[in-house]
Amino acid sequence: MSPRFRDMLLSIAVAVVLGLGASAALLLFLGRSPVTAYALLAASVIRDGYTFADIFVKATPLILTGLAFALTYKANLFNIGAQGQFYMGAIAATAASLVLGNRLPGPLSLVIVFVAAVAAGGLWGSFVGFVKAKFGANEFLVSMMSTYVALAAMNYLLRTALMETKHEYPQTNPFAPGLWLPIFLRGTRLHAGFILAVLIALLIWLLLFRTAFGYRIRVVGHNSDAARLAGIDSRGITVTTFFLAGALAATAGFTETNGVQHMLVQGFNPNIGAEGIGIAILANANPVGVIFASILIGALKVGGTIMGQTSGVPASIIEIMEGFVMIFVILSYFIRSGLEIRRSKKELRRAQAL
Amino acid sequence: MDSPFLEIRGVTKLFSKVVANRNVSFSVGKGEVVALLGENGAGKSTIMKILYGLYRADFGKILINGKEQRIESPKDAMALGISMIQQAFSLVSAHSVAENIVLGTVKGLLNRRAYERKIRNLAVQYGFNVDPAAIVRDLPVGVQQKVEILKALFQNASLLIMDEPTAVLTPQEAANLMDFVRRYAAAGNSVIFITHKLKEVMDCADRIIIMRSGEVRGILPRAGTDEKELSLLMIGHELPPLPDVSAGALQAREMLRLQGVSVRDRHGVFRLRDVSFSIQEGEILGIAGVSGNGQQELCEVVCGSRPLASGRIWLDGRDIGSLGIRERIELGIGYVPADRQRDGMVMEMTLAENMILKSSYSSKWQKRPFLDRSRIRHYATSCIEAYSIRTPGPDAVVRGLSGGNQQKVIVAREVDNGTRLIVFDQPTRGLDLGAIDYVHKTILEERGRGKCVLLVSTELSEIFALSDRVGVLYKGVLQGIVPKGELTMETIGLQMAGYSTSGR
Amino acid sequence: MTDLLARALMMSTPLLFGSIAEVFAERSGVMVCAVEGIFLLGALGGFVGDYESHSLAVGIVLAVLVGAIYAAFYGWITVYLKQHQIVTGTAFNLLATGLSAFFMRAVFGVPVVPLTVEPLKALPVPLLSRTPVLGAILFNQNILTYSMYFIVPAAWFVLYRTSIGLTIRSTGENPEAAEVAGIRVERIRFSMVLLAGAMGGIAGAFYSIGYLGMFTTNIIGGRGWIAFAICFLGNWNPLGALAGTLIFGVAEAVAISMQSSGSLLLPNELFIALPYILTIALTILRRSFNVPGKLGIPYRKEN
Repeated sequence: MSPRFRDMLLSIAVAVVLGLGASAALLLFLGRSPVTAYALLAASVIRDGYTFADIFVKATPLILTGLAFALTYKANLFNIGAQGQFYMGAIAATAASLVLGNRLPGPLSLVIVFVAAVAAGGLWGSFVGFVKAKFGANEFLVSMMSTYVALAAMNYLLRTALMETKHEYPQTNPFAPGLWLPIFLRGTRLHAGFILAVLIALLIWLLLFRTAFGYRIRVVGHNSDAARLAGIDSRGITVTTFFLAGALAATAGFTETNGVQHMLVQGFNPNIGAEGIGIAILANANPVGVIFASILIGALKVGGTIMGQTSGVPASIIEIMEGFVMIFVILSYFIRSGLEIRRSKKELRRAQAL
Repeated sequence: MDSPFLEIRGVTKLFSKVVANRNVSFSVGKGEVVALLGENGAGKSTIMKILYGLYRADFGKILINGKEQRIESPKDAMALGISMIQQAFSLVSAHSVAENIVLGTVKGLLNRRAYERKIRNLAVQYGFNVDPAAIVRDLPVGVQQKVEILKALFQNASLLIMDEPTAVLTPQEAANLMDFVRRYAAAGNSVIFITHKLKEVMDCADRIIIMRSGEVRGILPRAGTDEKELSLLMIGHELPPLPDVSAGALQAREMLRLQGVSVRDRHGVFRLRDVSFSIQEGEILGIAGVSGNGQQELCEVVCGSRPLASGRIWLDGRDIGSLGIRERIELGIGYVPADRQRDGMVMEMTLAENMILKSSYSSKWQKRPFLDRSRIRHYATSCIEAYSIRTPGPDAVVRGLSGGNQQKVIVAREVDNGTRLIVFDQPTRGLDLGAIDYVHKTILEERGRGKCVLLVSTELSEIFALSDRVGVLYKGVLQGIVPKGELTMETIGLQMAGYSTSGR
Repeated sequence: MTDLLARALMMSTPLLFGSIAEVFAERSGVMVCAVEGIFLLGALGGFVGDYESHSLAVGIVLAVLVGAIYAAFYGWITVYLKQHQIVTGTAFNLLATGLSAFFMRAVFGVPVVPLTVEPLKALPVPLLSRTPVLGAILFNQNILTYSMYFIVPAAWFVLYRTSIGLTIRSTGENPEAAEVAGIRVERIRFSMVLLAGAMGGIAGAFYSIGYLGMFTTNIIGGRGWIAFAICFLGNWNPLGALAGTLIFGVAEAVAISMQSSGSLLLPNELFIALPYILTIALTILRRSFNVPGKLGIPYRKEN
């Protein structure tokens, strides 16, 4: 293992520990002992197969929204709209699922629903890419605002066209069983969406690091001037990466509606977009790293929920943990680069025998 | 004997990869003009930046009038009367001349009219023609430099440091500047100017401090020395004789032709006006001229990164005026840009990845659907050998390479891509002698292979050494193309100042 | 109609505070991407301060403190440690959603009935508030809105007519030039971030103690980002920010009145989405920006 890679893993581990520590300290405000709370967290996560498998259930959408930010980040573009693209995917998947019902065989229906989600999210995302490429519009602002528009659209549809037949709550009817993503570990909630997410992450890695197109994305991301003079079409890359990012976030919508909820409910996964950004940061925008980071955060979420259920620690501790871990990872970037500079200077001084 | 105005004692500065200054010591008296001479990378800018508070020395002292001083920021330096004008001007281009001059010096409300009056007076006193209300980015480079000088004068600087001040001036403007320096010194102020041009040094300096590889190699009064001794100290050995450029058998075929080419910038100002010339296979056309007269735009319009406002361009008989950058690359135009880190490579990527920068669309690197990585590495390795690039290997990140080796990577790539035409823009700027030599040899070799070369450079010695014919750009107009045999410093100097000669 | 405009002016207030603060920060070269989190914590701080002490002033002071302290951490990481502004901002925003819910719980537990305070009252200016039309709109507002009348011209004056304004603008355009002129670039940027924190805190508090009279975790709902966007759309100019906030204030007032009047023609959600759609449209249309030259790029000196 090269020293730089080892340093990176080490610093991420330290950052996670510190982040959890800072969150733990806050528990003192509630008059709770951080030690017992965290012991509980660690124990609960491995207490039984169901809970353990739930880590991967939680990780699934995180992998995908993490990729949604990481992919555009590699092109030096900022997709803050993953949450909205997620909603669009969820809406499309839901609509398609409700329409198809039991008409077609399960696997075929799922593929159709998947395609619908990807198309919806992809188009929603490529809108941002398009206005950036054509008008030079600030993609950060446009993608951020598009989330709120998507949210409004979803709330509207949940109240009207998609609303359950009972008309009691803002949610849809449950999907027909054929449209549920199959569970591949009996006795748990772990559904095929996880496998899908992991496969997609590996494909994105291959795309970025083994194809000419991915190479061009990275060139544009590192140095747009050199890319231009190399004849690389950065506008096309902008639109395509935003399409892909939207498709990725939409797939998360698909896995959540068809794999977990089996319906569309108002206000579900309200932070999955921002959490995806956190995942991408933790993983340094590396698609394979995203898988591991998602599993880690998934574990935090499962443990956090149990902490909330059993010892009355509020659910907000999860967001606090995520926030602190992200901040400590950012700090670790700073410390690592400072250490490297100091190390080179020391070597130089030794070499010059000053 | 009272102490000199400035004394630098034993200053050493380390960066993460290099010793920029080692035990540097010298002094400057009142009313003295000192030249800090050395080639690129000698450490001259570094020591001056330490003096001006932009860098912090790792060891050593600075004394003003015999008293030790701690200079931790430009504010401290300015309080001591030290002012610095860097190569890249420290001006806010979007603001006016007056706003730039008073920045950091005045407090409270901005009294525009009073400042403008004071600036006008100061300008008149030194014979500068500057309008305080003008916006800096609209001013020509020579005038921008005057703004920088006015800024120092406004703050009553008694020591003026200038870094390569004549790099962007015509010979006339340079002469004006030297006049100003003499007048300023005669008034009891001191000047340190950093340069690598021997001629300037002999014209103006009272004493010369020569630096090489971060150390002071000699301190000489101007009267007692000559150019030969100086260049020996500067380079460490005698200047190698200029390579013999015997004109090879000139093919008659024309490869590149420009006809009536005009180019405009964002604000609609003409950067190139009605430029016409042609270059044959196996020929090097050198374009000389002070930076900022359209050289960059000429390279850009040939390579396709800047659109034509009017005129036409032919490559090998084909009209390429409407073709994009990628098409032109595919037609065989190679481009070694002036700003190599920004335009020529991706610093964060490996050497191998940089080698395919211009050919990523080509099928030769593909093993569908992936990239043929072993092929790319093989290519990179062969280039490393062919060009003696000092690097751990093809997977080394190019940021870690020295400037000279980075340029070799770019040259290797562009020479392969440029099957018909290669454009070199300031190819040896900032390189050490060994790398300069290599680049020159490569350019001549490519010419020997029958390629067509457009060489743009502000270094006249380079232009003279390599070109078959030379043209000068002045304010976007080509002043006339002269074959090497008929070239003299005098004609070039006149052309650079805008006096065109007949003959194209 | 006058009611609508009066309400529009009122709803512009927090957006104005936020966007003017952002203008100063971005003019110095820093994007305060933690703006949404600062608003949220300011709202919480204001509410807690007001509820516990039954004093609006204490609430505002606490909001300013909370906002400034949170911004200080953001500023430390982005200005001094030179880390990425968008990434850091996202972390801070996420953390803020957790912190606000957490401290609400820590301070108040789980109340049976939502806790409320008296929202800001209108303070009619004697005489002037009687004038037809304008009186009702301009002079029958609360104290925070009145402060807008002073803040906008003051901001413009400071930015363009004083030496500190020139310094701030130069720091964002060309930090190297500013450094050479003797300006402490990092110090200027950090202080602008603190200012953004203080004003953002007030802006957030407006929603909790100025308008709604209570605190909920989604009280800000993206309006911090709208203030951020207004800075862009207003071309980094206090007058432009004023124009932008008025437009959004009107949009928001229209949305509220449409919702409460129960208009059946167009869905509620459309009005809720209106400000965001407007921002997207304006971002696309506004092609030539006067972006401060080095906005968002951390200033690095030697290595």
